[in-house]
Amino acid sequence: MERGISVNRLTATAVLLTLLTVAAPALAGEQLVLIVSTDSKIEQLDSLELRKLFLGLTVTHNGNRLRPVLNESDSRVQEIFLQNIVSMSDITYDRRLLRLALIQGQTQPTAYKDVGSLIKVVAADPSAVSYAWLKDVAHDTRIRILRVLWYD
Amino acid sequence: MSNLSPRTPLLCLVSGLLWANLAIAQHDHSSGEFEVFVAAEAFHGTGQQRADEADPWVNADVIFGLTQHQFRVFGEFNASPDEGDLERFQMGFEFVPETVLWFGRFHQTGSAWNTEHHHGQYLQTDITRPYIERWEDEQGIIPQHITGALFESRKSVGSESAIQFSGGVGAAPALTSTGMDPIDLIGSNPGRHGLSVTGRIAYLPEYVGASSVGLLFGHDDLTASGGHTLPTLRSSRADLTIYGAYIDWTEETWRVVGANYYVDVTLDQGTRNESFISGYLQVERQLPRRFTIFGRVEESSRMQESRYVALFDDHDGDIEIALRRQALGLRWDYARRRALTLELAHVESLEQRSNEVRAQWSAAFP
Repeated sequence: MERGISVNRLTATAVLLTLLTVAAPALAGEQLVLIVSTDSKIEQLDSLELRKLFLGLTVTHNGNRLRPVLNESDSRVQEIFLQNIVSMSDITYDRRLLRLALIQGQTQPTAYKDVGSLIKVVAADPSAVSYAWLKDVAHDTRIRILRVLWYD
Repeated sequence: MSNLSPRTPLLCLVSGLLWANLAIAQHDHSSGEFEVFVAAEAFHGTGQQRADEADPWVNADVIFGLTQHQFRVFGEFNASPDEGDLERFQMGFEFVPETVLWFGRFHQTGSAWNTEHHHGQYLQTDITRPYIERWEDEQGIIPQHITGALFESRKSVGSESAIQFSGGVGAAPALTSTGMDPIDLIGSNPGRHGLSVTGRIAYLPEYVGASSVGLLFGHDDLTASGGHTLPTLRSSRADLTIYGAYIDWTEETWRVVGANYYVDVTLDQGTRNESFISGYLQVERQLPRRFTIFGRVEESSRMQESRYVALFDDHDGDIEIALRRQALGLRWDYARRRALTLELAHVESLEQRSNEVRAQWSAAFP
């Protein structure tokens, strides 16, 4: 009897793993992840640090100033970024960045419309922080994923 | 403080470039900033012979900055058909995140409006700035451009809030025959420049938010010389002490901006000292389709009795000093970084009343 339960559990686990393996590519396409270079020493960034960083304020790690890189490769990424990371409309976000430039000459985040160029820039700069679809970076050995920012 | 030699501006510029070069040489990465704010305006006012200095038909504000790890160099050059001024030129060092010590020419920290909008017309919802916040070359009565040292810091309080502190000390403008002249980093510097000390402490409900409420302070020793200045003022100096409070609060689609200043003017012995009050309250409401409606009320008390205030009224056919004003307007952000604004106002000045209408196109590039 005990052996039967054990066999059933094994079967159920195998079925679940098979389903997850099959579903993984589909799920991976629906996850926006926070990324840095594999050379980066950043272990994690909380929501407030992330918001400060992308609003143009100074965020440092081990004394190094972090550099935000905007992903504008598609409108959905931009929409999720505005809603989930900086929590403001596009016009308000743009005005906030302009305001910081006007007040202190603060540098605005660099934006990339091509995800390949964005990944290249992030991979080359240990202080760069950006975000991308999981499917675009999952198999890139130059990029390290810090955490999932959004999933469907 | 003695008069500055013409070499001073050059020294400032050269030391700024050296500062930037030093920073570049010491570090691997640098980041620069370059923005241009442009505005074009049409104006009509009843009973006025001409538009005043605050209403140029076109002006451009160029922002340039360089950040090199903890070093920063930053400037703002404003140009209109009548003038071109290096309004700000600052070299700074950021000790810890959001704590910076600057040297150079900066906007005094005791102004609620100008530290938020500076000369960038596009970022201002309305067209006009309150009379009490006007720049020196627009017959402004409070010194706005100081040359010296500026300290700025923002510290977290609790999990989300912050306290912001800024304080500046340096050379105040001089009162000359042409009005109030701050130290010019490019041109000549007539008159004697006294001491200016200004400060602000503010509470921010969100560290990264746009809302704040705070207290303002300023003390400026202004030395008078030349033209009608001495006879009008009947004093060789005017020491201003300014106490203020302000609020700039955004709640969803609403924004409220208000400030009130008490200004004490100390003159030479034997001459009666003066004081006056001036303030404003502006309410903005965002509407669908990127429209924003706004209204502002400006009020003052005892300004019409002040000899110091009278100094800035040059009787040239425009309105330089408003005792009160009511303004109403509509702004349309019709495209990214482009806006059209219409503003109607009723102004009561030292000598007349006027109705004004302004239309403006403003933009930011790139």
